[in-house]
Amino acid sequence: MSATTAFLTDSTLCIGCKACEVACKEWNNLGDDGLAWTGFSYDNTAELGHSTWRHVKFVEHPPEIGHGGNSPEVSSWTFSSDVCKHCEEAGCLEACPTGSIVRTEFGGVYVQPDICNGCSYCVVACPFGVVQRNKEDGRAFKCTFCYDRQKAGLTPACAHACPTESIKFGEIEQLRAEAERRLAKLKESGMNDAVLYDPKETSVRGTHAFFLTRGDPRQYNLPLKPEVPTIYTKQGWKSAAIGAGVLAAATMLAFIAGDNR
Amino acid sequence: MKDSALREQLRSEPAEPSLPQRVHRLEEIRREAAHTGRVEGVGVRLAGAPIPVASVETGYYGLPLLKEPQWSWEIPVYFFVGGAAGAAAVIAEFAQMSGAQTELVRDARTVAAVGALLSPALLVSDLGVPSRFLNMLRVFKVQSPMSVGVYIVSAFGPPSVLAMIANRLRGRMPGMMLKMIESSAGLFSALCGLGMATYTGVLIGATAIPVWNKNIDSLPIHFALSGLAAGTAAIQLMGHEESRALNLLGLVASAGESLIGVKLEKAPSPANAPLKKGTSGLITRAGGLLTGPLPLALRIAAAFAGERRSKQIIRMAAASSLAGSLLTRVGWVRAGHRSAQQSNTAASREF
Amino acid sequence: MGTSFGRGGATTAQQDLANSDAILIMGSSMAENHPVGFQWVIEARKRGATIIHVDPRFTRTSAMADIWVPMRSGSDVAFLGGLIHYVLEQGKEFREYVVHYTNAATILRDDVKLPDDLAGIFSGWDEENKKYSPETWLYKDEDPKPDAIKPGHATAGGGHGKDRGGEAGDATKHETDPTLQHPNCVFNVLKRHFARYTPEFVEDVCGVPKEQFLKVAEVFSNASGPEKTAAICYAVGWTQHSNGVQIIRAAAILQLLLGNIGRPGGGILALRGHASIQGSTDIPTLYDILPGYLPMPFWESDAHTLDEYVKRHRSNSGWWSNFEKYIVSLLKAWYGSAATKDNEFGFRWLPRVTGDHSESGYWLDMQDGKMEGLFVMGQNPAVGAANGRLQRTALSKLKWLVVRDFVETETASFWHDSQEIENGELKTEDIATEIFFFPAASHVEKEGSFTNTQRLIQYHEKAIEPPEDCRSETWFLYHLGRRLKEKAKAEPIARNAGLNALTWDYPTEGPIREPVVDAIVSEINGYKTASGELVREYTELEADGSTACGCWIYSGVHPKPGHNLANQRKPKDYLGHGWGFCWPSDRRILYNRASARPDGKPWSERKKLVWWDESKRQWTGQDVPDFGKETPPDYRPDRKAEGIKRIAGDQPFIMHPDGVGWLWVSSGLKDGPLPTHYEPLEAVVENRLYPQRASNPPAEKKQRPDNPYGYSLDKRFPYILTTYRLTEHHTAGGMSRSLPHLSELQPELFCEISPEMANEIGIRHGEYATIMSPRGIIEARAMITSRMRPLKVQGRWVHEVGLPYHWGRRGLAKGDTVNDLLAISEEPNVRIMETKALVCDIRPGRRPRGKAALDELNAKMRQTA
Ligand SMILES: Nc1nc2c(c(=O)[nH]1)N[C@H]1C(S)=C(S)[C@@H](COP(=O)(O)OP(=O)(O)OC[C@H]3O[C@@H](n4cnc5c(=O)[nH]c(N)nc54)[C@H](O)[C@@H]3O)O[C@H]1N2
Ligand SMILES: Nc1nc2c(c(=O)[nH]1)N[C@H]1C(S)=C(S)[C@@H](COP(=O)(O)OP(=O)(O)OC[C@H]3O[C@@H](n4cnc5c(=O)[nH]c(N)nc54)[C@H](O)[C@@H]3O)O[C@H]1N2
Ligand code: SF4
Ligand code: SF4
Ligand code: SF4
Ligand code: SF4
Ligand code: SF4
Ligand SMILES: [Mo]
Repeated sequence: MSATTAFLTDSTLCIGCKACEVACKEWNNLGDDGLAWTGFSYDNTAELGHSTWRHVKFVEHPPEIGHGGNSPEVSSWTFSSDVCKHCEEAGCLEACPTGSIVRTEFGGVYVQPDICNGCSYCVVACPFGVVQRNKEDGRAFKCTFCYDRQKAGLTPACAHACPTESIKFGEIEQLRAEAERRLAKLKESGMNDAVLYDPKETSVRGTHAFFLTRGDPRQYNLPLKPEVPTIYTKQGWKSAAIGAGVLAAATMLAFIAGDNR
Repeated sequence: MKDSALREQLRSEPAEPSLPQRVHRLEEIRREAAHTGRVEGVGVRLAGAPIPVASVETGYYGLPLLKEPQWSWEIPVYFFVGGAAGAAAVIAEFAQMSGAQTELVRDARTVAAVGALLSPALLVSDLGVPSRFLNMLRVFKVQSPMSVGVYIVSAFGPPSVLAMIANRLRGRMPGMMLKMIESSAGLFSALCGLGMATYTGVLIGATAIPVWNKNIDSLPIHFALSGLAAGTAAIQLMGHEESRALNLLGLVASAGESLIGVKLEKAPSPANAPLKKGTSGLITRAGGLLTGPLPLALRIAAAFAGERRSKQIIRMAAASSLAGSLLTRVGWVRAGHRSAQQSNTAASREF
Repeated sequence: MGTSFGRGGATTAQQDLANSDAILIMGSSMAENHPVGFQWVIEARKRGATIIHVDPRFTRTSAMADIWVPMRSGSDVAFLGGLIHYVLEQGKEFREYVVHYTNAATILRDDVKLPDDLAGIFSGWDEENKKYSPETWLYKDEDPKPDAIKPGHATAGGGHGKDRGGEAGDATKHETDPTLQHPNCVFNVLKRHFARYTPEFVEDVCGVPKEQFLKVAEVFSNASGPEKTAAICYAVGWTQHSNGVQIIRAAAILQLLLGNIGRPGGGILALRGHASIQGSTDIPTLYDILPGYLPMPFWESDAHTLDEYVKRHRSNSGWWSNFEKYIVSLLKAWYGSAATKDNEFGFRWLPRVTGDHSESGYWLDMQDGKMEGLFVMGQNPAVGAANGRLQRTALSKLKWLVVRDFVETETASFWHDSQEIENGELKTEDIATEIFFFPAASHVEKEGSFTNTQRLIQYHEKAIEPPEDCRSETWFLYHLGRRLKEKAKAEPIARNAGLNALTWDYPTEGPIREPVVDAIVSEINGYKTASGELVREYTELEADGSTACGCWIYSGVHPKPGHNLANQRKPKDYLGHGWGFCWPSDRRILYNRASARPDGKPWSERKKLVWWDESKRQWTGQDVPDFGKETPPDYRPDRKAEGIKRIAGDQPFIMHPDGVGWLWVSSGLKDGPLPTHYEPLEAVVENRLYPQRASNPPAEKKQRPDNPYGYSLDKRFPYILTTYRLTEHHTAGGMSRSLPHLSELQPELFCEISPEMANEIGIRHGEYATIMSPRGIIEARAMITSRMRPLKVQGRWVHEVGLPYHWGRRGLAKGDTVNDLLAISEEPNVRIMETKALVCDIRPGRRPRGKAALDELNAKMRQTA
């Protein structure tokens, strides 16, 4: 059993260079997702998807003279590199009917491209809007956690390319501790709006890709309370049973009550 | 990201406040900044607006947090066909058991069997890699409604078809054997049919899509009734307008759908907005109307009308139910899309 | 930097930034354009350093800084002058360092006049010829030089070489006043000169609120002293101004005053651009220097004999006393056995500079039909160079054009796809230029080296064979040379003598006869002509023809056969010794003798780097000492000492004849001994200091009908225009706009404007805007962002339009070419164009297409105020 690994993406160190995004595309041979200018700050790829497995977000607030982005008082322009969260309880993995999505020996959530049949059920089951089907290819894709590289003892391409160690890769518990230390340090320096995003209290039970960001995670489209949707199946089957009961009972009664012409 | 989608995004920003308002707000913010050393959120429609912003209110530039469902047209149609066929299987079985008209049983079996054949075809054709349909049968995952569903669909097909064939053959060559085959296959088909009519509600309910997820409690019942309405209607239109049992069933289904419609209309949750607003709202509401109040009223009216007239009215009610059931499925799937599009944090989700 | 410290390169290594206590990044967006080096800034931040970014825009670098101060483009000298004023006013200078290691104590001539005395010019200005005579800037008691070796530049010269006479020639003759009391000592002249650069002045001129300026001044000066050091990083945000060199001078003065040069965590880091742009000045692609910063001989004055040339450029004391060894060794490397003492080692075969052959110079010549052909290798001037319209129309006047690149760039496509074809100015069928496009091998497809920003030579091997007809530069140039020589041999006319004498015998290998790069590196390193034995260092070079060396500063890079130090891959220490080779002699921090006190002990334990080891009687430490290894701190030269022996044991700036860093530069600069504030060539406000002198007097506008300017404070163009880079693209875009993974990241040209400005011109986010300058008209998507902000300058709000300049008509991500707006202009010393501060007008909506675009521009130019 190999060590469980994880990412700590620290947006307070990120310079928004997008090297991670490009390195991921290069390594995994992904295409571009269209040449559209969005006007969303410097972000023109907008979101994670089947052809973007790392994505750098740019959040702007009006800066103030005398304060750089590292000033604890004002958060003016932050960059945060997003990726599949590799959830402890992964919606996509739970939902996948083919068993294409598996948990690897490194603890990552991996879509096996030779099994996936493109039913797209994982797409609606991911509470973070990560995995997506490639319409041309037919199958679903997302970050592989560089399973191939990890297998070969290499660091994932995105972390390897990051010039500022904004993406840290390592053993999960060590990284969690590191994240806590870093958070404490930021708070100590007065950066009170720093938060560690790792939804452990919800049914997701934590992730293998946690994020240090400034300000409310919702501005980065990180949901406050993500849930693994399959926790609702019990409830669903219960009402399905009721539905079936109603259907059967109604039919039976109708045929009893009705004449048998 | 497509340029057109982005353009829409830019346009859908709230209306731009007047120039003095903007300047005023900007000054206010600068003062606040000078005074307190910081400003909470962006909160200002700056000059040159709409400028997309990333904030707690809008999420990341108002972009969806969730991915839209990627199912094609086959899926809502499958929901409709599968639901109707499932209900028809149940009807056929009870009809046979209660000794109903042989034509009715035969037609019910036909609806069930045709639906049972169409369903997997629709499902397979929706797949990104259709040739890998069988991959779904490699594993069985209770926690995945899709997995459970695939087994239900697969199990529903053979007995439904067998029951129909047995039924048809019995018309030509009587025999105990065939009857036994029909009734046991029929029973199995009916049991699966119950699953067919309901599981799709669980399937979409147990997802991250807010409008589906929020309604997981009522969706399977809703879909069961919708299936019942459609199944009943389909059989009736094959010349069974006068079957009292079917008419009763139709009444029950449309009454139930009306109740569910009222419940949905009254639900305050913002997650339900796609069921009421926009194209998806229009379709679901139309679907609701056509399966609920309209056929209900028609069927009641039919009870008081003369025989010929009544038959016509029943036909109208049945057609309405069929169309309504189809629209309901289309509407719900569309609502799922809309819901995902609006999933930029606070706007539609309560988290 | 060359004039202030002695060598024209970054004084420190990027790794060393981690030791800084404060880093001022100004004139660069380091995080965006040097992201890998920026990790050391982040490291310093983690260790508690304060990062300050001064930039008109809030950039990705500002986002990493602790302090961001927006400043109006083109007001850098005012800001830095303000810092110098603050240091002098508050007595924050590092006294001991200043007294011993700079020329602060040197006394100047009585007749030198400052711009405050002469309404904006220094003494020595020749209004008619628009140039200075630096005579009065000399140290007091300096002998006037005979005409032949008069200080100052040749008219046509650039400023890249050590082009100087023997100013400060006789170090023992200068009067100094170590108490710094003498009214005409450099220190007091400095005080007088910067007296007007008060915080109020900075606020008025730069638009930086006084308190914010003082915050920067305080943080930066408090991070300097014996226990602390602060560094400055700059790039083209400083250089590409009509007074660019003087901006860097101001930084040099500040760092010398604060004692930040030659010390760990200190220094000035010139962030260079292209992968080997430092290398391309060391072994130059420039017209005015030879390898190792030896000046190119000029037609007019110094070019007649080797003797005259050497006399003019050699100095009696300091390192340049060795000048003759380097030029003779270079000539031996080039002309081999044909170079003998009798024929002045072939000096007369060297081509002579006859005029301004800088890029702007020859491009104007081209436009005027004076050029027949052009090689463009690794450049895309149709997009990257100023005044795009002139660039492209000039190309159409050539008889032939050779472009070597990976893709068909805009420079290669001007004849069928260009703005001028679109607007009808050029017609394909009328263009007679014959164009040859050669596919180039990329750096992974060939062997060679890069010399990066910190003078570090790094070698790379070939990873894959170049595909098909792609060839390396070495292949192309070697075989081109070979064929030319073959032709010349058949034609033994006088003009061909040099070509015939040239050694051109590099061994080749493989089926395509690729030259062996190792042989070239060996020649650059230098060898003994008799035995062919490689030299170990440039100290072994001789002036008698017994050594040959292709570039003396690189000497030592390949000291033994099979021993290419540029190819070392195992760093041993934090400065990276063991990784690559850093010229000169693998010194990572220049002038590092200054990291020790005059008595040879470190200034402090925390900031020690190189010190005198009394027991071993030599300099030792973490870096290769930039000093005579065995020259003790108490060494004092006697009156007759010559050359390097003239430098005392406590004088760290060994390249300078007087061994100290120059707060005052008595010659070597064409626009004054001290920096002073001038507005850009095109300005939106008047010069607060000298209303009579708007811009740098000797800067050349090259104004002509095809390179027009507006009139002064032109109301038709009320906004400042500044240009810059994005991380996602590379310069003129040939290498990035053709790649999908980069193109999608920044697919379209946009302009950055403040909400206030958007309000003023009525433009909305995401829509197109049309931007015009006197030279061009383009369109760009409007990015409205509070990262841009209006600044209050001289009582009114000044708005700035920001434009990244990477786009052109080819490739995947297409867009208008920003440089169509720019003017060809020349900073007087290095002849660089002004790209960072010009004027423009902007209106909502797209620009007209075709000829209508030109019509709109012409209509605009016809408007009067
Ligand atoms: N990703 C990427 N990296 C690159 C390049 C690239 O194209 N892409 N190019 C390389 C090359 S060739 C070079 S030369 C370097 C250049 O590196 P930089 O000098 O960092 O490049 P720029 O972005 O042109 O300009 C830097 C900053 O100057 C600011 N500025 C504008 N006007 C003024 C002014 O008047 N004063 C001051 N102080 N600042 C001003 C701009 O806002 C900008 O933020 O980068 C190199 N690195
Ligand atoms: N407005 C404005 N204009 C500017 C600047 C600015 O800040 N503002 N900055 C200026 C600066 S600092 C610079 S450096 C210039 C850059 O301007 P250019 O040098 O004209 O632009 P590049 O795109 O870097 O051109 C280099 C070309 O070389 C090709 N190439 C790369 N490697 C090789 C090789 O090994 N062999 C050959 N033969 N070709 C190769 C690339 O494909 C590319 O097309 O732009 C200048 N222009
Ligand atoms: S983030 Fe989504 S795709 Fe990634 S593991 Fe979690 S549920 Fe699966
Ligand atoms: S699309 Fe592929 S990975 Fe996703 S649920 Fe279906 S089979 Fe599994
Ligand atoms: S881990 Fe690998 S696949 Fe995942 S984002 Fe990083 S580079 Fe891409
Ligand atoms: S590579 Fe690192 S610094 Fe660059 S954008 Fe990605 S996370 Fe940020
Ligand atoms: S592009 Fe190359 S030279 Fe520039 S920062 Fe990145 S790695 Fe360094
Ligand atoms: Mo550059």
